[in-house]
Amino acid sequence: MTLSDNSPEPAAIHVRGLTRTFDAVTAVDALDLAVPTGAVFGLLGPDGAGKSTLIRMLATVLAPDSGEADVFGHAVNKQPGAITGRIGYMSQQFSMYPDLTVAENLEFFARLRGVPKPLRRERAASLLTSMGMADFTSRQARKLSGGMKQKLMLASTLMHEPDLLLLDEPTTGVDPVSRREFWRILGDIHAQGKTVLVATPYMDEAERCTHVAFLDAGVVRHQGTPEALKASVPGTLVEVAAEDPRAALAALQGRPGIASTHLLGDTVRVLLHEGEPVDLDQWLADAGVAALARPIPMDMESVFAFLADARSSTGLPEEVPA
Amino acid sequence: MRAALDRIGAITAKEFKHLIRDPRALALVLLLPIVQLLLFSYAISFDVRNVPTLVIDQDRTPASAEYLRNYEGSNFFSIVAHADSVAAATAAFDRNQARIAVVVPAGFGRQLAAGATASVAVLVDGSEPNSARVAQAYSKALNLLYDQRVAVSWAETQGLDLTSLGSLQPQIRTWYNPERRSSDFLIPGLMAVILMIVTVQQTAVTLVRERDQGTGEQMAVSPLRRGELMIGKLLPWTILAFLDVVAIVAVGIGILGVPLRGDPVVLAVAAVLFVFASLGMGLVISALAPTVDTASITALLVAFLPSFLLSGFAFALDQIPLVLQWIASAFPARYFVTVSRAVFLKGAGWSEAWPEVVSLGIFSLVVLTLASALHSRRSR
Repeated sequence: MTLSDNSPEPAAIHVRGLTRTFDAVTAVDALDLAVPTGAVFGLLGPDGAGKSTLIRMLATVLAPDSGEADVFGHAVNKQPGAITGRIGYMSQQFSMYPDLTVAENLEFFARLRGVPKPLRRERAASLLTSMGMADFTSRQARKLSGGMKQKLMLASTLMHEPDLLLLDEPTTGVDPVSRREFWRILGDIHAQGKTVLVATPYMDEAERCTHVAFLDAGVVRHQGTPEALKASVPGTLVEVAAEDPRAALAALQGRPGIASTHLLGDTVRVLLHEGEPVDLDQWLADAGVAALARPIPMDMESVFAFLADARSSTGLPEEVPA
Repeated sequence: MRAALDRIGAITAKEFKHLIRDPRALALVLLLPIVQLLLFSYAISFDVRNVPTLVIDQDRTPASAEYLRNYEGSNFFSIVAHADSVAAATAAFDRNQARIAVVVPAGFGRQLAAGATASVAVLVDGSEPNSARVAQAYSKALNLLYDQRVAVSWAETQGLDLTSLGSLQPQIRTWYNPERRSSDFLIPGLMAVILMIVTVQQTAVTLVRERDQGTGEQMAVSPLRRGELMIGKLLPWTILAFLDVVAIVAVGIGILGVPLRGDPVVLAVAAVLFVFASLGMGLVISALAPTVDTASITALLVAFLPSFLLSGFAFALDQIPLVLQWIASAFPARYFVTVSRAVFLKGAGWSEAWPEVVSLGIFSLVVLTLASALHSRRSR
């Protein structure tokens, strides 16, 4: 089942059976995906899941081996010219000229895109102001901080006012404050009605998306809205903060009433079956583990951990209706 | 069309910005040619002056003394010692005290007085062939200036075999103008070397860098076409290379006194075609090289070696092995060096130089087409 089936908007991106291999590695493996127009679509997954390969094919800079990928109804391998004018592509690698200034980089790529000169000036000024970079227009790109570099690239992809943004891990390696700032800007872009496809390894960023898909080994494992995905994991989520989280995990694993457990940082996330009484505090005390357990709302981090768990043990449905 | 021109303009303007931001590249392009020109013309000159000379006067007459004064008065020779026997020449050559020994045999004055042809032996240390050959030529010229009354015998040795001295064979050599300065010969050829280094190196790196920086992908999602990128990249270097040509010609004529006897238009057209060919070679390298470093080193090899060694710049092409002559034909430098020398020194125009100019045109067309094909294959 794909999103477009019950989505009122036509899909901005429609992918069917898309495959791309590099030598012996199949980076994207018969992948299906639909991104509704106006969505902020999060492409989640670990390194090597195929996120970059998928995005580069959608941006028409990489040719698929087989399968179909349409962007705004145009096939990426047949009519790239009809697509590139309407998209902004931000690669994972910093792809501005380090020796040119912020203003010169924006000017150059916008000029290549055919943006008229007065508009280039106007948009560069307003984008840089809205991103808090107005004071850095004449700074060389190489001298920008990591977060600034990402914002410069985002600004560059916006200069020709594209309808679709393809962002490949725009916040990877960026400090938390800059990440939040970056997502605030993406929120503004979403409010303008643009479609955003954004790859990220950070699960917390999935919360900010209207739709998400979880990629693993070149395949979409789960996709849907964050709400639908959360709803697909029944039960209550409990967070156990412990000095020794591994000991806490060992104390709780396999107990009756516990559907699933996993480690997250210094805490243990426990999924409880609905309506079955459990005594976490007692079990932890029996094991001699000093810990504090409290129920928390379901988040995407745990959703994907539990879905991955469930898929390997019980064969829960991989796709969740939107 | 206007949009395409604007995109080409964007690339060209950007290239100039890169150059301005990179002082080393700027120096390489603008200063290196002049530095090289002066270095080559002064330091690595093939001119021979003050060749250490041993004088062996076995005649000891006023006539022999007068003849030998010609050597003393010449800039080409510097008399380092006088000796009586030919054996002294061996010793002087072995100790590197002298490169050349002039032997005036007994009976020189008598023969001259009798109106007969007198003979003089000039022994040359052949271990340094270049100065030996030139010194030989100069001394022969000197004899000719000496009213052609002296027949000269030569002995070119690699350590001087004295037994052969008795059976010296007169050798006929082509007339070698003693006034000829090697800078006249060098500079037209040097232009090819300098242009190649400036152009091939820069273009070889430029596209690899776009790929490395990921900016190539940003270009791929713009309406920019491959041909536009190529033209935009080539334009600044064509302009700069042409400035270099003008600078080299100006320094060559103005400071080094090289004559420009032929048609400057032929030279200009050949230079532009040669620059295109060189840039095309740079683009081919950048299409094939995996990294900036590989591109840079390959470019240096491709630019420097053939233009220096296989262009006729350092060695006459008809004197290198046949295989190397074929290889030389595969590089544009030899055609340009030929045109350049013909125009500068022989006063050539279209009627003499057209085959090489056409060759350069074909070469640049082929190599640019190849570069374009390689790049479109490489992308995606």
